[in-house]
Amino acid sequence: MRRPIRIPDLGGAQAMILHRPHPIVHALTRQLMAIGLQVTEAWPELGPQAIGADYVFFDADMGHDGMFPWSEGQPPMPMVALIGSEAPGRIEWSLRAGAHAQLLKPVGDNGAYSALLIARDAFDTQRALFAEIADLKRRLDGRQTVVRAVTLLAARGKTEEDAYAQLRQMAMAWRISFEDAAARIVASRDDTNPSGRKARDGRHDG
Amino acid sequence: MKRRIEIGLLYSRSGSYSLISEACRSGALAAIAQLNADPDLDLSFVPVERDPGGNVDLYGPLCEEILRDTSARHVIGCVTSSSRKEVIPTLERHGGTLWYAVPYEGFEASDHVVYTHACPNQHLLPLLDWVLPSHGRRAYLTGSNYIWGWELNRLARERIMQAGGDIAGERYLPIGSRDVGRMIDEIRLAKPNFILNSLIGPSSYEFLAAYRQLGQDDSRFQPWNCPVLSCNLTECELPAIGAAAEGLVAAGPYFRGVTGWPGGAGFGSSHEAAAFTAVRELARLLAGRPGAEDLGLSQLLSDDRMPGGIIDPKTHHTVLPAIIARVESGMFRVIHQRNGVAGDPYLTRTPQTCGVAHLRVVS
Repeated sequence: MRRPIRIPDLGGAQAMILHRPHPIVHALTRQLMAIGLQVTEAWPELGPQAIGADYVFFDADMGHDGMFPWSEGQPPMPMVALIGSEAPGRIEWSLRAGAHAQLLKPVGDNGAYSALLIARDAFDTQRALFAEIADLKRRLDGRQTVVRAVTLLAARGKTEEDAYAQLRQMAMAWRISFEDAAARIVASRDDTNPSGRKARDGRHDG
Repeated sequence: MKRRIEIGLLYSRSGSYSLISEACRSGALAAIAQLNADPDLDLSFVPVERDPGGNVDLYGPLCEEILRDTSARHVIGCVTSSSRKEVIPTLERHGGTLWYAVPYEGFEASDHVVYTHACPNQHLLPLLDWVLPSHGRRAYLTGSNYIWGWELNRLARERIMQAGGDIAGERYLPIGSRDVGRMIDEIRLAKPNFILNSLIGPSSYEFLAAYRQLGQDDSRFQPWNCPVLSCNLTECELPAIGAAAEGLVAAGPYFRGVTGWPGGAGFGSSHEAAAFTAVRELARLLAGRPGAEDLGLSQLLSDDRMPGGIIDPKTHHTVLPAIIARVESGMFRVIHQRNGVAGDPYLTRTPQTCGVAHLRVVS
């Protein structure tokens, strides 16, 4: 089931609008200020101060790579594309730039609030998924180490199941992940000293 | 010599919320009469009326008619949020302005609307601040199936949960439905500490009558034990509710007899008072400025040099008292009042912990 939307605290939040001077900038600024945000305009590129912004609205019509002070498609905040031309090439570029929501031009009386909420939610979801994927990847990479650690523990005459349970207990006692515990076991056996000294003073955080 | 300025009135004189429309309309007409009789004022208002008859699909076309066929640029009108949303595109096209004089659910700040009644930080949040410490944190939420009930109950749920309370139940009825039996059954079983009633019109009247009966059968549901709360109930609907209104608690910017409202204390309800204020504020903005009647709202406000303005230029909302009152012997008696609460439609200017911190201490 989908989690309930988190209504972001928008009072005093910083929005940057990357668009050439134009009435739509005025209309968008009015909306954002009515909502309670502080607004800065920038053109033709976002300066380094953009890193501190909570939201970025950017022109999808005249936008191009290199306008943003971060790696392509990896904005550190939610981004809203301001779309005039709905040409597929421009939509593609907006998505590559990292758009989380869009607002169609001409910007009129409304639309900014829902764009802010949808962009924030998409951004948070994306972040959470990336973190989860990175963690799963790391754990996947550690699979071989887990097998080796279980084999090492089982070599002392335990069943594979008991060795597995022992590894889990060690991880809990050391307060580190299962995979990190396995890496520690493997490292200690690889050590020239077979007594497992590293494993015993393994209280430093993993 | 007075300038004759046409202004639109767009109120439904029949349909499920006509009592509220009529209250607003009479407030607006009272203000027009007062201003027209004022010899010191250089303008008089000529009302141009259209009656959508409670049909939401007629608001857009009738607003269009006013703005297209007459010289009026300002329209006083609309009761439901759905009707307000219907006229905004028309206002945008014609550079017109709507003066909206009823409580609503917030999350809007149109460049073409002035909001002279309360939004949630001026009605719902003060009401919760009052009820949670005094009656408990277990709530039952009701509403009619449209944006007012949905959004009010969403916000109430959020704030009640933040305060450590819980929602005993939540149920909606189609607009106009009198099918309240299931709600009453649920309330009897769920035993909440209070009920937030965002039903409108006949649904609300039916619910209040059935709940009064429940209270007579079981004193747990008497108003002093488990009150019904409302963010939009005013004197204008009391005749339709009768004795079932006894003990009901409502929030609003004005109740009959409260002093301090600009322009007088003789209003029948806050709907009347807020519509009256809308017309008076429009007159203040136009007085002594020939041609200003053709300006759009933002310019009208930014060029305003006279003292006494009440409209926040950013949000187009106003500063109002937040009053909590209880119906006793057929009249609202004030039980709590906080003055000078600025409308905060997006809840970005009100501290997020509103009422929660001190509730924790009480518990």
